[in-house]
Amino acid sequence: MYTTYDVFDEMVNLRDLVDRFFTEAPALRRNVEYPYVNLRENNDEVVVTAVLPGVKADSLEILLEDASLLLEGEKKSDVQDKPYIRKERAFGKFKKAVKLPYRVDGDKIEAGLKDGILTVKLAKAEEARPKKIEIR
Amino acid sequence: MANEVKKMRKDAYNCEECVIVPPADIYETAEEYVIKADMPGTRREDLEITLEKNRLDIYGRVDEALTNEENLKYGEYRLNNYHRAFVVGDGIDREKINATLENGVLTLTLPKSEKLKPRRIEIKTEA
Repeated sequence: MYTTYDVFDEMVNLRDLVDRFFTEAPALRRNVEYPYVNLRENNDEVVVTAVLPGVKADSLEILLEDASLLLEGEKKSDVQDKPYIRKERAFGKFKKAVKLPYRVDGDKIEAGLKDGILTVKLAKAEEARPKKIEIR
Repeated sequence: MANEVKKMRKDAYNCEECVIVPPADIYETAEEYVIKADMPGTRREDLEITLEKNRLDIYGRVDEALTNEENLKYGEYRLNNYHRAFVVGDGIDREKINATLENGVLTLTLPKSEKLKPRRIEIKTEA
């Protein structure tokens, strides 16, 4: 097999590279749904964190569905009926599903909300662990 | 070259001096100005608010445990220390500034000094 060299391929590659530089930066990727989540994996545990400033624990619901974690709640508006000099914060209801890398044990989920950061710790399910198969 | 670009991006977004400018609301009542700012991840003891001359500075440190990206498999946000500055007028009662932090939202109340508060003007009628 042989390939031909095409100078235009190089140019397209360069363009893609520049595009990726600007779009892959997490801080700039704003086409994702609110709330923004991070997913960490260590050993047999997945840790999902979400930024939820101003959301109280009683207006937040977390559901486990199949291998997805559903976050549903409301950031209640604290807007006063007063003249505003500046208005930059956003409020409202949200619903988001986070796909987990594997099935988790529904009985071993720990969730905590502290300083506006939600942390959900999920343990890998028994059936998702590697199983050794005996050869007879 | 792809690696160089990756490194450039890492440097551009992982710098230690970088700060997040927290979104803020400011409203005014007859007695005070209220600033509300979303600063998730900042604890009470990590917050520093200074008022020097007419400059109000709000600093919020975010713990390294929340900013490091170890074992990160998927990311939509990146936390960092917060900094926001405002210019305030002379009519602030500097002694009575109050700050509370709840669920990652900072509420700062700046009471107006006596001379700036609205007052009723008595109309004297000639008898």
